[in-house]
Amino acid sequence: MKHLARRNFLQVFGSSAALSILVGSGLLKPGMALAVEFNRGAFEAKTAADALRLIGAAGAESSPDILIKAPEIAENGAVVPIEVTSRIPGTTRLSVLVDKNPYPLALQFNFAAGATPTFQAKLKMAETSRLRVVASAAGRHYTLFREVKVTVGGCGE
Amino acid sequence: MSDPIKLRATVKDSTGEVRVLMPHPMESGLRRAPSGQLIPARHITSVVLSLNGRPVIEGALGSAVSANPLFAFQLEGVKAGDQLAVAWRDNTGQRGNAEAVFSAA
Repeated sequence: MKHLARRNFLQVFGSSAALSILVGSGLLKPGMALAVEFNRGAFEAKTAADALRLIGAAGAESSPDILIKAPEIAENGAVVPIEVTSRIPGTTRLSVLVDKNPYPLALQFNFAAGATPTFQAKLKMAETSRLRVVASAAGRHYTLFREVKVTVGGCGE
Repeated sequence: MSDPIKLRATVKDSTGEVRVLMPHPMESGLRRAPSGQLIPARHITSVVLSLNGRPVIEGALGSAVSANPLFAFQLEGVKAGDQLAVAWRDNTGQRGNAEAVFSAA
């Protein structure tokens, strides 16, 4: 329910005018915007299946409208550059999982109106693994994966 | 304390490009020091990007994000002079934030 509360907050206070009044009056400090509501438990999940279930995307259907740019072979698993874009209309969230990492869920981004559902990031990969992206739009989940070979892992040792 | 965030915000034809580098060790809690002791987890857990005070991108990060996280994002309907702010928090409660103004590319 916390998640719903957050959504309502964004809907009610989503306009910059309302927010700048709050910021200006000192009621809302920039740091407070960090009350991000995600299911933190999903980041503790040790298998991709558990993580997918916890982010509510267990039944995600495969979609060609998700674009993943990632190296086919990553020489350094500590820094694997990725670029993810969703062309699915109304995409509000992108999640990235590295199936074989100790904690597969790597990151999630929420996109409000005005933010294009695309990002570049750098991830650690423990070993050769499936890199999985989940795009969420209007309560539905879509997925696409890409295999990335890792020659030197970047999570433990 | 952490090094300052590097934030770049450029705009071209109302499309804003944002690049943000947040110096942070992003320790997973799985690595061992030479002594054999586990290095405690210390990583950024949340990031918020705001445009003119309105949060537009919120991120939840796990320990699989590389050290010194570098992200690039894209915002629409942006003009030169618009305010961009970024703020992060890590699992130990430490925070960081930075602001920039969009400039024409």
